[in-house]
Amino acid sequence: MSVQAERRPGWHGTRRRFALRMEPYFYASPALIFIVAVMLVPLAIGLSYAFRDITLLNPFSGGFVGVQHFVDLWHDSDFWQALGNTVTWTVASVSLQFFLGLVLALRLYRPFPGRGLVQALVFVPWAVPMFLSGLNFAWLFNPVIGPLPHWLYAVGILSSPENILSDPAIAIWGPIVANVWWGVPFFAITLLAALQSIPPEIYEAAEIDGAGTWRRFADITVPFLAPTIAITVLLRAVWIANAPDLIVAMTGGGPADSTQIVASYIFTQAFKGLDFGYASAVATVLLMLLLVYALIVLMIRQSLLKAS
Amino acid sequence: MATIDIDGVRKRFGNVDVLHGVDLTIADGEFVVLVGPSGCGKSTLLRLIAGLEDISRGAIRIDGERVNDLAPRARDIAMVFQSYALYPHMSVERNMDYSLRLRKTPAERAREAVEGAAGKLGIDRLLQRKPRTLSGGQRQRVAMGRAIVRTPKAFLFDEPLSNLDARLREQMRGEIKKMHQDLGATSIYVTHDQIEAMTLADRIVAMNEGLVQQIGPPRELYEHPTNLFVAGFIGSPAMNFIDATYRREGQNAFLVVGEKRLALDERDVADGTPVTLGLRAEDIAIDADPEDPGAIEATVELVEPLGLGTIVHVQALGTHIKALSLAVVEHRVGSRIWIRPHPEKFHVFEEATGRRLERKAQFAAELPA
Repeated sequence: MSVQAERRPGWHGTRRRFALRMEPYFYASPALIFIVAVMLVPLAIGLSYAFRDITLLNPFSGGFVGVQHFVDLWHDSDFWQALGNTVTWTVASVSLQFFLGLVLALRLYRPFPGRGLVQALVFVPWAVPMFLSGLNFAWLFNPVIGPLPHWLYAVGILSSPENILSDPAIAIWGPIVANVWWGVPFFAITLLAALQSIPPEIYEAAEIDGAGTWRRFADITVPFLAPTIAITVLLRAVWIANAPDLIVAMTGGGPADSTQIVASYIFTQAFKGLDFGYASAVATVLLMLLLVYALIVLMIRQSLLKAS
Repeated sequence: MATIDIDGVRKRFGNVDVLHGVDLTIADGEFVVLVGPSGCGKSTLLRLIAGLEDISRGAIRIDGERVNDLAPRARDIAMVFQSYALYPHMSVERNMDYSLRLRKTPAERAREAVEGAAGKLGIDRLLQRKPRTLSGGQRQRVAMGRAIVRTPKAFLFDEPLSNLDARLREQMRGEIKKMHQDLGATSIYVTHDQIEAMTLADRIVAMNEGLVQQIGPPRELYEHPTNLFVAGFIGSPAMNFIDATYRREGQNAFLVVGEKRLALDERDVADGTPVTLGLRAEDIAIDADPEDPGAIEATVELVEPLGLGTIVHVQALGTHIKALSLAVVEHRVGSRIWIRPHPEKFHVFEEATGRRLERKAQFAAELPA
């Protein structure tokens, strides 16, 4: 096309140069228009809600309120508790998922009869919709129909077989357990893939060099897995911090907002309280926090890439 | 340094026998090359010595000590891998002193060993670099350096040069030979390249299909291949094989190839036995005198100038034959010439078994001790 444009008589000077310079943008435009229409525009509208009074049940709402929502937020103890819960929820879920996933991956790395089948089964929780696994775990924790409270009581963890989801002090661990069950396969499979990419001769060379099992793990496996570990842990942390499904399905943020994380707090404010303005303000804060976090992730990734 | 005894070693992988009983004794300081086509079991044998695979039956002894049940790290051997297997996240120096650090060698001594080895291999400037920033040849040197810093009982080489280009391979071959002369270390070297085997080995172990075919010095394998396999595998260009029949009339023995009779010394085999005549390319003279009873008429099919000499491919005795001449040959394709195989250099193998048929008169003298 560009070759033809150059040869056509009458196409010279500024017009031709302009056409040539614009050419790549025309090619890219369908994708760009799509991204602007379905991502950037809604994002901008969503952000604008944070500065307006938008309450669905109040027909007179919609006015500009400036930073009022953010001032309210600063004094909202529920928000701060949700922020604290988000940290607990994310750190506990990610570290347990990672640790169990690593153990599972190391176990699945060594050949044993039926390994193919076990590998497939390990992946099953990942295929269960998160929301459904939340409902299932809510039932498992229910002493009327679920066995878990009775088992926990039998081994002495609970003083009586009650539903941990109704105890504000420990209720957050219900969704965490469900999340760990659901998320272990992700770590197991990605770490297994990383393990399998380590050339076996490297282990053989280390064995001949005199390294025992532990030294091979520390000197070969860990350095080889480090980039994968860093990236998966950091990415999963964002994902989990941002995912209210299990909380909403299992506790609805209760009892008494004790299990509310920021993401579920946004959901509650928007779709239960129908206060979209305030929910947008909370979402904006969450977006900022995650952007800062993402920046840190990218910086760590860069330094990891440089190191390896 | 150490001796290595391999005593009736067998290896099975599942239902597949890979080694069918190998016996081999390697002397202290000897350089032994295991050579054979891929799948012949040579690498498996090396891995059994290293301890990377379990021995199914038989025993391996290093310095008289049975090592069947010893872990690789307890055998005190070093190995150079085909892929080099350098630790990518460690510097060259860390790669080389890893084994020393694991053995808690004092830092001062470890540094001396690494610097000594690096100096010998010409990689002293690369010590702080990571393997991925090195060229193939440099990685190869690091892999060798990692082996020699330890002064192990024996060196094992698993096709260490096959990832290098031809020029570099030739150079490293020389360096390995020189290193062995300097260190005098017991070495076992696996390769499928018969030139590496010929140039490096004190003794060659030719293997095929899990069995040792012949053990001996390179010249012996070249000049007295014990069977068709060794004859065909050792030597480049490969030996010419011609189907023939062994005949004896009174005191005269000869081979019949088609219409042609080729005189030779008597062999210890019945009159009329089908045999395979083996002729090395350099033992065939071209431009022979047509009157010579040993001369054979041939048609030139292809001329390959080597610089050093010329390989002439001809059609003769009903088959394709390669002759190597050190002269510059300018025959045109299709032209008729006379070739003359050197009758003293006939290799005769029984067709049914592939075994070498020795000359009757010199039978006893020529058998390897």
